[in-house]
Parts: sequence; structure tokens; C-alpha cells
Amino acid sequence: MQPNPIQASTHRTTHKTLKFSNMTQSFTSLPQELQLATSAHVKYIQSLDSRKDEYDYWLTEHLRLNGLYWGLTALHLLGHPEALPRAETIDFVLSCQHENGGFGAAPGHDAHMLSTVSAVQILAMVDAFDDLETRGRGKAQVGKYIASLQNRQTGTFAGDEWGEEDTRFLYGAFNALSLLGLLHLVDVDKAVDHIAACANFDGGYGVSPGAESHSGQIFTCVAALTIAGRKELIDVDRLGRWLSERQIAGGGLNGRPEKKEDVCYSWWVLSSLEMIGKTHWIDKAKLTSFILSSQDTDKGGISDRPGDMVDVWHTCFGIAGLSLLDYPGLEPVDEVYCMPKSTIKRVLGR
Amino acid sequence: MADQGGSNHGIARTSRTRTEEQRQKDLERIKDYRALEDQVRHHAAKNDYSSDVFALTSKLLRLNPEYYTVWNVRRRCLISGLLSKPSPGSSPSKALPTSSPTATTTTSSADFSSSLSTETPPAPESQTTGKSGITAEDDEEQKQQTRQQDQQNDQQILQKELHFTIPLLLESPKCYWIWSYRLWILKQVIERLPVPVARNIWEEELGLTSKMLLRDQRNFHAWGYRRHVVEQLESPELEGKSLVESEFEFTTKKISQNLSNFSAWHSRSKLIPRLLDERNANDEARKAFFEEELNKIGEAINVGPDDQSLWYYHQFLMLNLVNSAEHPTIAPAFTQEERVTYLRREIESIQELLEDYDDAKLIYEALFDYTLYLCQLQGRKPNEQEEKDLKGWLGNLKKLDPMRSGRWADLERDLGLKE
Repeated sequence: MQPNPIQASTHRTTHKTLKFSNMTQSFTSLPQELQLATSAHVKYIQSLDSRKDEYDYWLTEHLRLNGLYWGLTALHLLGHPEALPRAETIDFVLSCQHENGGFGAAPGHDAHMLSTVSAVQILAMVDAFDDLETRGRGKAQVGKYIASLQNRQTGTFAGDEWGEEDTRFLYGAFNALSLLGLLHLVDVDKAVDHIAACANFDGGYGVSPGAESHSGQIFTCVAALTIAGRKELIDVDRLGRWLSERQIAGGGLNGRPEKKEDVCYSWWVLSSLEMIGKTHWIDKAKLTSFILSSQDTDKGGISDRPGDMVDVWHTCFGIAGLSLLDYPGLEPVDEVYCMPKSTIKRVLGR
Repeated sequence: MADQGGSNHGIARTSRTRTEEQRQKDLERIKDYRALEDQVRHHAAKNDYSSDVFALTSKLLRLNPEYYTVWNVRRRCLISGLLSKPSPGSSPSKALPTSSPTATTTTSSADFSSSLSTETPPAPESQTTGKSGITAEDDEEQKQQTRQQDQQNDQQILQKELHFTIPLLLESPKCYWIWSYRLWILKQVIERLPVPVARNIWEEELGLTSKMLLRDQRNFHAWGYRRHVVEQLESPELEGKSLVESEFEFTTKKISQNLSNFSAWHSRSKLIPRLLDERNANDEARKAFFEEELNKIGEAINVGPDDQSLWYYHQFLMLNLVNSAEHPTIAPAFTQEERVTYLRREIESIQELLEDYDDAKLIYEALFDYTLYLCQLQGRKPNEQEEKDLKGWLGNLKKLDPMRSGRWADLERDLGLKE
């Protein structure tokens, strides 16, 4: 078992406390279930790798590296970055790497863009690019793997050698390559053209040209354009309107018109609004309560909506959403990378 | 990352404690699952992609269709033994787009694509020249036979694969890996089977997507898959022709089943420019088309003024009036006067809606937008009456939709509508 660092580390950075003193006041007057159950969430995330007697643990192995990224991101934002042991984290990530530079979801799983991006993000968060160089196959090889997945004709990216294409993979490539300082390995202009071709009359973006606007894909396209420094291509007003209409009566956000609300869209929609400077176009207080009421305050974790089963995916994006909403006590999250701002500052120097 | 596989959606939270009996049951399942997994991995690690391994992947994928590595093992089983090895030049996909089974029977070349059809075996006589005529002929005939057997074998396997994924898709309709595996199989169909056969198989995919969209009308996997299937069916690879009319018809059908299906309205918006081009629609036909769409959406809005799906499509039509330079428009030849008339008419009839629905905020939003469109079209600022209207509508928006008060405040400021 891991040492329990939760009690040990209760520090909060002073500037945050000051900045949010007014908000803290209003948040502490919320009922118990509408307080962030920080220590329950930390314990929940810590427990995820000790559930080997649960069938689901084995059924979800294809998401292990993604899961580690979701869990670690949540812990960093909760102010408990050390709640998962650093050395073991790095060892596990490196054990997923293939000769071609790509990472699989877990040892024995094939390399894929999604797990490769998670690997790079995790290594960035725990400041372990050096380990990748000395004990792994090195940044350059990772970059080469990702670049090999670009479709040089259309600019978009495949998830792996079998060819499924999606703007998720394009964003993933930009995310990881920019963290590694290797964005020059791919044809950025072509990729940007591809994103522009995915735009719809409603201001949103889809999986591929012709596809319906979808909040998840909007996040990937807007974030990729932000990384490429091409935000001028976004129809800010129209997109902002569409995104703000995702908020429905209960305060939660949905992913498309006339769909149910879901905590994970607290991230996809809100971060997109942040990138185009329009988060004030929705009701932040209501969204905050919606996320908080989706917590399991007792056993930890956040679900898609109140009363449902929790999972680490919704826990991560719920907490990331709360961080963007300036919930007191949380580390600020970077809206483009979905990682702590402090990590992005250290890696990219901005 | 935006991969939702493995996360819980819409599953009620239950007590997370299990009885000892439940725990034991889980342990049993885990043991079986892991034993199966170990077997697959053991073989894959030795590059053993035999039919035994293939059968193991079937078992494992039925337990866990999200296991992408096992789908890959399955692909490797197919290409490293179960399917025939495509010999260079024999791939139907390399055939000239114009080659049809009947048109090229007399061609004698190394390109056998045209002779792949069972209907039209080539005349071997015309292909045998040179010193050992008989032998070459026999040889050729044998090759031909082998090829046909290979194709029959391939066809059988590939169709079985398509059948294999159906129950998995029905159970996990949002699983990316199953959809992408199925497309990969269909790609093999094009590469390995004669065009008419391949085409038949691809055509059946339309039926599958219709079925999936009946079960979940907004499933974006199924919509995306359908777009891809249509694109292939229209391509020269499958000797295709445009399906824009039937696809447009499909959206009409989906909308008539349920007006609140934005996926169908969206698809419609994407098909229209091509539809009109391919109909060679003249200005008059385009105008009639525009009016028909306007009536259709107007009737829908009359019964569902709170439905965003409908208003987005209405907006798409209105944007055709104002943004003629940016987007392929339905009726590029509309005169300025016609555009103004349409906008005014819409504004008027939307105002009439308020008599029945004075608390539908989307109505006020539309009135607000379209009044500004009108000003934009005429290159002017709102007149006194319009400004009064805009202020009034904005007041209603603030009242009815306080969640977006920040947006209303921005509008008020940007348009100088503050009292």
C-alpha cells in the first residue's frame, strides 16, 4: 500500500487563497454535498490500481495509461500531486513503450496515439522527460511515431497503423508534439486546413469534414488551432453562442443540441469557451453546483450526472471543470492541455 | 483525451460493497478472462496468427469489444494466413475506374482485374502467344482457378467478419473500435473482391446504419459511418454514382420520424448544395426549393418553438440569404429585394408565434438575429423602431434566460442598446 499523503499535505498556495477569498466565502456557505470532497476523491483515485479483484479492472486495461493521466491530472489539480508514487508512475509509463516510440495502454497492448499522448502528458506532469531519454526510447522516437500517423494528403491523423482518422488524434498529436518541442515534425498547415474543413455553419466542428458539430470535437479542433497559433480561423461569436446553448436547465452542459447534460462536457465546452474568451456566456455558479452534486462525497469520484456510477474519466473532467470555474483551493488548469498550468509553464516556458 | 470508452454513462450509482459470494463470482470471471487473454498474448508474442488464435480473439472480443489490441491481433490473423495474399497487379482496387466486367474481356495484359468476375472469364486463346502455348494456357487457367477460389474464400471470411461484429455493435453502439474494425474489413472487401461483389457488400452497410439510427437517431458513430459508406459507394473504386438524392430522402425520412433530430437536419444542410448542383437546378427551381425548406421548418417550429434543432436549421436557411459570399448558397441569384422580402416575411411570422408562445426564448433570439441580418443585408444601422424592438427582445431574453446573462450583456454593450 502507498503511504497516505493526503493528511500530510494540506497546504494551499497563499496567492490562490487570497485571489479566491470572496468566492471561498460564498462556496463555504453551500450545503455539505456541494463542497468538493477532496480527500474522498484523492482516496478514490489512489484506490483505482488496487481493485484487481474487480472484473471491471481487467476489462478496462486498454485504458490504463489514459486512466493514469486522468487520475494524475485530477490529483495535481486537487493539490495532491504526490498521492501516486512518482517512481512507480514513471516505471509503468516506460514499460508501455514500444520500439517504434509509441506507447500502448499497458504492457502487452499495441501502440496507439491515445495512449502515447497520455504517456507524454504524464511524463510532463511528473517532470520525467529525462527518464524518457535515459531509460526509454527518447523524445525523438516518440515524435517520429506520432508524425508517422499524419495523413500527408489531408493533414489529419490516424490513431494507429490501422488507419482510423479523427480530429481527436490530430489534437493529440499537436498536444504531445508541442510538449516535446517537436511540432515541426508534422505538416501543421495541412492539419490546420483539415480543421478548417471540419467547420460547420453553426460555428462548431465535427470528427471529420461533413460531420455534425460535437462539443468533444470542438475542444480538439479549437485546442489544436490554439496550439498552432491559428485562432483567427474560429468564428468566435457563432461558436460561443453554440457552446453557451449547451447549458441546460439543471446547470449542466450537454455535448450537442437536445441531448442530456454530462459532467465531462463541463470540460469540453467550458475549456473551449475559455479559449475563445467567452466563459461568462454561461452560468458558472449553476455549472459548479451541477458538478459538485455529481460527486460521491462518501466514497469519492464524480459521475456523468447526479446519482450515477463514478469513474476516473468524469472525476478528472469534473475537477478540471471546477478548476476552470475558479473553485477555491484547486490548482489552475491549462485550458488547452488539460494539465496544471504550472506544468505547462515549466515545459513550455509560458 | 476524448475517448469515452470504459467510462460510465447513465449507470445508476449503487452500493460499491459486494457480498463475499459476489466477490467469489467476480474472481472466477477474472480467472477465465485472464486465462483467455494470456493465451492470445502468448501466441501473438510469438507471431502466431493461426486460425486457433483467431478463434480465441472471437471469444475474447465478445467479452470485451473495447480491447483494441485484440482487434489488431484479429486483423493480423486475417492478413497473415486466413485471407489470400493479394498478388501484385491482381488487386481489383488497382483496376482502372472504367473497367467493367464486360468491357475488357478482350484485353490481354497482366492486369487481371477485369477477369475477376465469374460472369466473364477471359478467352484464354487470345492471351496465349509464344513458344509454349499449351503450357502457358494451362498455367493461366490454373492461376485463374486459384484466383477464383481465393476470392470465394476471401468473400466468405470477410462476410463472416461483418456478421461477427453486428451483435457487438448492437450491444456497444458507441464503441469506436468495432466501427473502425468493420470499416477495415470493408476496405479488404474492396481490395480483394471483384467490384460488383464488393459493391453489393458495401450497399448492405446502408441498411446497417439505418438500423442503428433507428435504435438511436443521434448516434454520431452511425451517422459518420454512413457518410463514409456513401462516399465509398459514390467512388470510382466501386463504380459508383451519386447518392445525394437518396441520402437527402433519408434525412427527410428521419426528420418525419422525429422533428427533433439535429443530426438529420445537419446532414441535410451538408447535402443541399450538391443536391441542387446535381439537379442542375435553375434559379426558379432553387427558389422553389428554398421556399419548400422554409415552409417545412416553419411548420416544425410552429409545434416545437423550444427545440434548438429546428432553429439551427432555420438559421442555416437565413444565413443563405445574408452570407452569400461565404457559403455555397441555395439560391445565389436571389436579388437583394428578394432577400429582404424573405427576411421580413420570416421576422413577421416569427413574431406571430409570440401570440402562442411568449415564453419561448429561442423566438426572441431569432427575432433579434434576423433583424440584425436585415440591417447587415441593407448595410445600415437599426432604425428607431427596430432598436426599440431589439431592446424589448433583449429584455425578454434576460428575463427568460438568466443563465446566459453574460451574453445578453455583451450584446447590449456591443450594439449600444443600453438604456
